[in-house]
Amino acid sequence: MNPAFYYRLIPVIFLLIYAVFELQTNLFQRPADILLPKGQTPKLSQPLKIDKPCIDLHPEWRTAQRIDNVDIAESKLCEPDDPNHIAAFVLGMNNISMRTLMNTQLAEDALTKSDDLDGDGDPDIIHIKLEVIELNGSSPDSENPFPIYEIAPSIQPGMWAFSPKLRGMSVKNFRSQKANSILRAPSPVIRIEQGDKVYITLENTHYFPHTLHFHGVDHAFKTSSGADNDGVPVTGDKPVMPGKTRTYELQPRHAGTMLYHCHVQTDKHLMMGLNGMFVVEENRPNNWLQTFNVGAGHVRHSSVAIKEKYDREYDLHYQSIDKNLAQTIQHSNDIREISKQMHRVYNMSESKENYFMLNGHSFPYTLRDALIIAKPDENIKLRIANTQHSNIAVHIHGHKATITDYDGVTQNPVAQITRDVYNLGAAQRIDLNLQTTNDGLHSYGEGVWLFHDHVETAVANDGISPGGNIALMVYESLLADNGLPILRDDALSDVLTNSYHAKERPLWGKKEAGQYSPDYLRLILLGLCIGLIIGLSLFIMQGLTKKEDIS
Amino acid sequence: MKAIIILLSLSLYFINPSFAAMNMNGMIMDETGMIMNHNPDKLPKGCKAISETVDITIRGGHQFAKDFDGKMFTYDKREWQVPPCALVNVTFINEDDIRHQFMLHGLPGYLYPKGMFTIELYGKGQKTASFIAPHRDYTYYIHCEVSQHTEKGMKAQLKVGKGTGDLDSILGLSAAKTPALYPINHSIYSWLSLAISIAIGFIIIGFGKRWLKR
Repeated sequence: MNPAFYYRLIPVIFLLIYAVFELQTNLFQRPADILLPKGQTPKLSQPLKIDKPCIDLHPEWRTAQRIDNVDIAESKLCEPDDPNHIAAFVLGMNNISMRTLMNTQLAEDALTKSDDLDGDGDPDIIHIKLEVIELNGSSPDSENPFPIYEIAPSIQPGMWAFSPKLRGMSVKNFRSQKANSILRAPSPVIRIEQGDKVYITLENTHYFPHTLHFHGVDHAFKTSSGADNDGVPVTGDKPVMPGKTRTYELQPRHAGTMLYHCHVQTDKHLMMGLNGMFVVEENRPNNWLQTFNVGAGHVRHSSVAIKEKYDREYDLHYQSIDKNLAQTIQHSNDIREISKQMHRVYNMSESKENYFMLNGHSFPYTLRDALIIAKPDENIKLRIANTQHSNIAVHIHGHKATITDYDGVTQNPVAQITRDVYNLGAAQRIDLNLQTTNDGLHSYGEGVWLFHDHVETAVANDGISPGGNIALMVYESLLADNGLPILRDDALSDVLTNSYHAKERPLWGKKEAGQYSPDYLRLILLGLCIGLIIGLSLFIMQGLTKKEDIS
Repeated sequence: MKAIIILLSLSLYFINPSFAAMNMNGMIMDETGMIMNHNPDKLPKGCKAISETVDITIRGGHQFAKDFDGKMFTYDKREWQVPPCALVNVTFINEDDIRHQFMLHGLPGYLYPKGMFTIELYGKGQKTASFIAPHRDYTYYIHCEVSQHTEKGMKAQLKVGKGTGDLDSILGLSAAKTPALYPINHSIYSWLSLAISIAIGFIIIGFGKRWLKR
């Protein structure tokens, strides 16, 4: 064959290439025509799981009761605090019955109370032991984090917390991977009496060094033996290494709502959850205090001073999570690698907060244990602490409360402010007197009133709303037996699914924008053209090279 | 005396602005809605007489958009055709509880200030008003001007005579001028048909080669 014949075929290839170029334009997407594509049900990345709003495990814990002569107030929540633990926290492990001790998950040396030094009927030497726990950490034996602690349906960010010294398993039972009821966020509220001699021992059960620092709580710079008492590695001793312990000494002269936190790599360790509320109660006779309020929230055994003025007391601890920081403990079990990821690769200055918790839970799980329950004509003591790095602006629907204390210092009563948004910068605390008098100012009457941070990033779970630190103030007349407010039947049906929080559930039951089906004719033509180009190119190359061989 | 009192009180009833329909500058307004540039009798230039009387009933609301995926509000019908110089009596029925409009643009300004003929309903209800179509063939733009109602489906057209083509983005009739891109739902079959057709194209050349050799 004449080489000219082959050369003449080359423009045909260019023509075919042009055709391919034209035909491929709508291969992966195409503009809408008159009718938009039909809606479609989204594909879920994980099987749909619907949580129960309340797992009513211990209804018997709700009633007012007396254990080892300790009066424990009624707590109508879905998940009330275990009364056995409260008796132990009030009396100390050394003063409870064997039966109560067996009913707790606490070590026998977790809390010791002794020596009525001032002879006013309550113990004045308090020994407290704290451990450092990890929630939703990594495990070399499972795809799941361990121990599992969900802040909201299927949301399991890596977290740390202080906890009272435990005994036994960290999980619910030997078949479970879920953390037991004491292993949770936030770190427990610690309550001591003004003037008590308090010895707090940090038992570092964790794999990184940590310390305790008491923020706003009256303490000397050094202990009586000259050791570090401020918890700051730069100004005091080296941090408490894993497997070691250190005892801090306090005898606070001033009462108020304060904080405690770890002061090692404070930016990261505080945000991981190593911070808690620390309440110094005014000195009163026969003032047996509930030393720990695990998970914060309702105080079932308030101090004498609080009972003088208030009908109920709630500790409200606001925290946030940066998911990138939380992930640093979830990908490795090599402590060197975790340390590098957390302390060097992760950059706090680029931090964003993704999850927002009130008392260790995000909505809708806040409904289980972070409600404020009220009756008309009550005075309710709220202690609010903000340990997230952004500001919070708490708003309680239907109410205006009075700010009585700032950072543990009582405001001059004449200058106290009654308002409906309470601003707290990082580490700040306020005490509120929430009056439920239906006078159009303090309260607009009974209801299921939302209360939440009005910084709108915080009412979502990683951007999915409603979520975050939304909780409810519920009047008893509107509370069901299981501790949940009486709501519209389908009020929680979206937010209790895992797919909602995985951003895979369209709102209001609508379908998603669909896709167009492929245009098979164009597809086949495209294929033919490509096939022709390949075949023709080979044919031409073959023909031309053969020719050369002959010549 | 009694009669005077009754008359006086009746007149009070009519003066009360919440009951009286005001008619000002081509606007007829009451508490249920507004009609703009109602014109049952003034002939536009070029029309010697009314050619025909056309009664049109137009329903508007969310329910009519349910057949159109991804849209929110529309009219029950989105295209009408009338002869030039027709007297058009429009009855606009709003099926929603919110405000909707039937707003027609492009009419001659000397009869219809701002070139508009509008029926607006402040909630569920209906109103009737009239206009006379000009003598030239033209496609008139109808829509609801409540923020984003046009964009989310409430758009229609009136062709006078043969009209002047279709407007863009009328539900069921024309595509958007700025259409969004939607993904193609490819499956194993579409990739298979592509692969097979490539192979066929390749084989065709093979056959061609054999044919050339012969």
